[in-house]
Amino acid sequence: MRFTVENSESGRLGCLRDFERSPYTSLETPTSALLAQAGSVVHLTADVLARVFKTPHLLWLPLTSCYQLEAGTKAQGDGIAKFSGLPQHITCATFQNISDNLPTGHFELDKVPLWTKNGKKMITAERYMELMEIFKPDIILAIADGRIALDEGPKRIFKSVERTQKMLDICVEKYKESKALHSSGLVGVIVGAGDLRRLEKSIKYTLKHKENLIGISLNGIGDCSDQILTTPVKRLEDIFRTVAALVPPEMLKILEGCWYPNVIVTAIEHGWDVFDGSLPLKMTNMGYALRLNCDINKPILSVYALDMKLKRYNNTFTPLLKGCECLTCKKHSRAYIHHLLVTKEMLASVLLNIHNLHNFDQLFIKAREHIALKTFHLFKQHIIQQCLMIEPLETSTTNQPVQSQQQQKKFCAKSLNNNTEGS
Amino acid sequence: MASASALQFNVEAECSTTKARTGLMKLPHYNVRTPVFMPVGTQGTMKGLLPEQLEDLDCEIILGNTYHLGNRPGINVLQKAGGLHNFMGWKRALLTDSGGFQMVSLLKLAEITEEGVKFRSPYDNSEIMLTPEKSIEIQNSIGADIIMQLDDVVRTTFQDYDRIKEATERTSRWLDRCLKAHKRPFDQSIFPIVQGLLNKDLRIQSATEHMTKQVNGFAIGGLSGGEAKDDFWPIVTLGTDLLHRDKPRYLMGVGVAIDLVICVALGVDMFDCVFPTRTARFGCALVTRGQLNLKQKQYETDLNPIDKDCNCSTCKTYTRAYLHCVVSVETVACHLISVHNISFQMHLMKTMRDNIKNGTFPQYVKTFMKEVYNDGKYPTWIIKSLLSVGINILEN
Ligand SMILES: [Zn+2]
Ligand SMILES: [Zn+2]
Repeated sequence: MRFTVENSESGRLGCLRDFERSPYTSLETPTSALLAQAGSVVHLTADVLARVFKTPHLLWLPLTSCYQLEAGTKAQGDGIAKFSGLPQHITCATFQNISDNLPTGHFELDKVPLWTKNGKKMITAERYMELMEIFKPDIILAIADGRIALDEGPKRIFKSVERTQKMLDICVEKYKESKALHSSGLVGVIVGAGDLRRLEKSIKYTLKHKENLIGISLNGIGDCSDQILTTPVKRLEDIFRTVAALVPPEMLKILEGCWYPNVIVTAIEHGWDVFDGSLPLKMTNMGYALRLNCDINKPILSVYALDMKLKRYNNTFTPLLKGCECLTCKKHSRAYIHHLLVTKEMLASVLLNIHNLHNFDQLFIKAREHIALKTFHLFKQHIIQQCLMIEPLETSTTNQPVQSQQQQKKFCAKSLNNNTEGS
Repeated sequence: MASASALQFNVEAECSTTKARTGLMKLPHYNVRTPVFMPVGTQGTMKGLLPEQLEDLDCEIILGNTYHLGNRPGINVLQKAGGLHNFMGWKRALLTDSGGFQMVSLLKLAEITEEGVKFRSPYDNSEIMLTPEKSIEIQNSIGADIIMQLDDVVRTTFQDYDRIKEATERTSRWLDRCLKAHKRPFDQSIFPIVQGLLNKDLRIQSATEHMTKQVNGFAIGGLSGGEAKDDFWPIVTLGTDLLHRDKPRYLMGVGVAIDLVICVALGVDMFDCVFPTRTARFGCALVTRGQLNLKQKQYETDLNPIDKDCNCSTCKTYTRAYLHCVVSVETVACHLISVHNISFQMHLMKTMRDNIKNGTFPQYVKTFMKEVYNDGKYPTWIIKSLLSVGINILEN
């Protein structure tokens, strides 16, 4: 596979192509992957996903939930995309989702803890690459000790850089030796973002393997979604600048994490190409509908996310987002989705995720259009403005139960001030 | 009272040996081919499946639960939505139950009087009375093509004759009240429920009484509640013997493949059951021989689909090994197995309809039973029930 990119003043347009498994597929960047669990886009069967997206997308596959697929995928021998029923999509494997709210646990030399459904497993770089040979993803993010908060102590940051470097050496070595992975692209994971000098070191070390890497991914910027969501944008921009200054422009740049849309457009401006798709799923699991207004000619009338559990939607017969072309909005009302949420029916998550993935995808489609037209700065402002209209998301667990009355009231009052009823 | 615009039933072919028949039931929202299995979508949704998926699975009519829908979203919302069809985005036919069964089975404190079923709301603990009139009012708001009368529910294994008699007769009185309260006879058909539990005289009394009413179809209730199979089938066959030949007969709460085959042979046209979707939630996939519990370790590297002859999207795309990995972990597992299980039920019914039409139904029943009981050890109720309609499965 190959990554080609054209840089522009504000953001850049790229293309992932020449995948051995699907030679006619190309993915335009900037883009967001579809976050998967155990190989499936969460809540959506292959049959439903095919109704939502007609073209191949990038699947984001954290090992945390794919670990359990080892025996079956190995027996079948055709890799994880085929085994998971989504052979037409492009796969990107990663060790873990840095936005997952998981325990951190102790570390051992040369091993990173993986929190699978059957408990903690200590994984070495060798073991990780052995699993990759079975899963045969199109893109592999090297194993890293990357789930670290930005404000971690210097010792922890130092260790994570050290450990990640050592493991990268092994990953690259195994990657070069592997026949099964000759057509996959390897991505080096940089860490140490909590200390810019350490970050520089991590980048420089990673680039020693440049000829074997198609790109880099940034870790060490958080260890759970609560914290990622509250990272000050200024601090992130310093990190982005450090990365941009050191990483050669032809390399693919991946930003993992559950970020608000304002951070995403800022990151796109700084030249980040791929995002992991955590935000729409988090919204879905919290019972929120994304409603990003991606048309800069349309006035911003409302917040960009609605809490569909709020009682006031119980008899609103409009779609989640007026004019949205998704399967959910073309057929179903807010009242129905509210009903499914309060009765805890599984279809609530299916319908919300269909819409949220569609709406989030629009953000990237429009971002690419504006980069091409050299009007990205206008688009960025348009998105940031919508983000200023809302309180931060409730941020505890992903499968959060219905909010308390008090929280609902608070949210309601705030939202009403901002004229959330929408058009 | 009953209007032909709400339901027209045409028997298109009858088996010359058994009592099985196949036909077309024309309902306001869809023409349903019988015998039919109706999957249960309790709260206005079918276990995580999109309405489009249900259409692709050839579901022609599904069931909603009045008790649940009356609570949430409630009549006001349903009326404002223009009925359950619009609310859930389902264009084909719907049937709603009366709410009585749910209430008695879900709420231990329900008290039944001549007026109706009195119970405490599990939502705010207030006292609520579900009368026949109220049940019909809610069902009129939901707007299903077929609605059920409120009946006096007694547990199937209950023994007290006086109470069974009271319930049977009260059910008939409540039928009159339901029919009187019905506001939409032109696009909704009320089905009376034949009661009497396992007592043949009471069953005859109930059916005879209900058949004097102007209605479009009948249900046989009070079965499939834990009674012995030897007690079950004679009541079914008594029901189909008694009820009008030209009206659809609905056997409530039956949906396991073997029971479906037997009861189609005994002349039943409609079935419903939560079993196929409920069992999917526990990781069990239906196959002719019974079910596969996909959680079992033996499927870890089994690269076969659930059923190689099944045409459902799950079987075309996924292996047992993959399903084994995601069962009880990911929501998609539940959706995937539900798709297969509903497909299994739909396929079974279609196969029976085709065989009835082709005059090969008795042979089909024999082949089916041989596949299920490949050791030839048939339960006696199966031998006897089939013998009663002219099929001797012990001879080839
Ligand atoms: Zn939508
Ligand atoms: Zn199947």
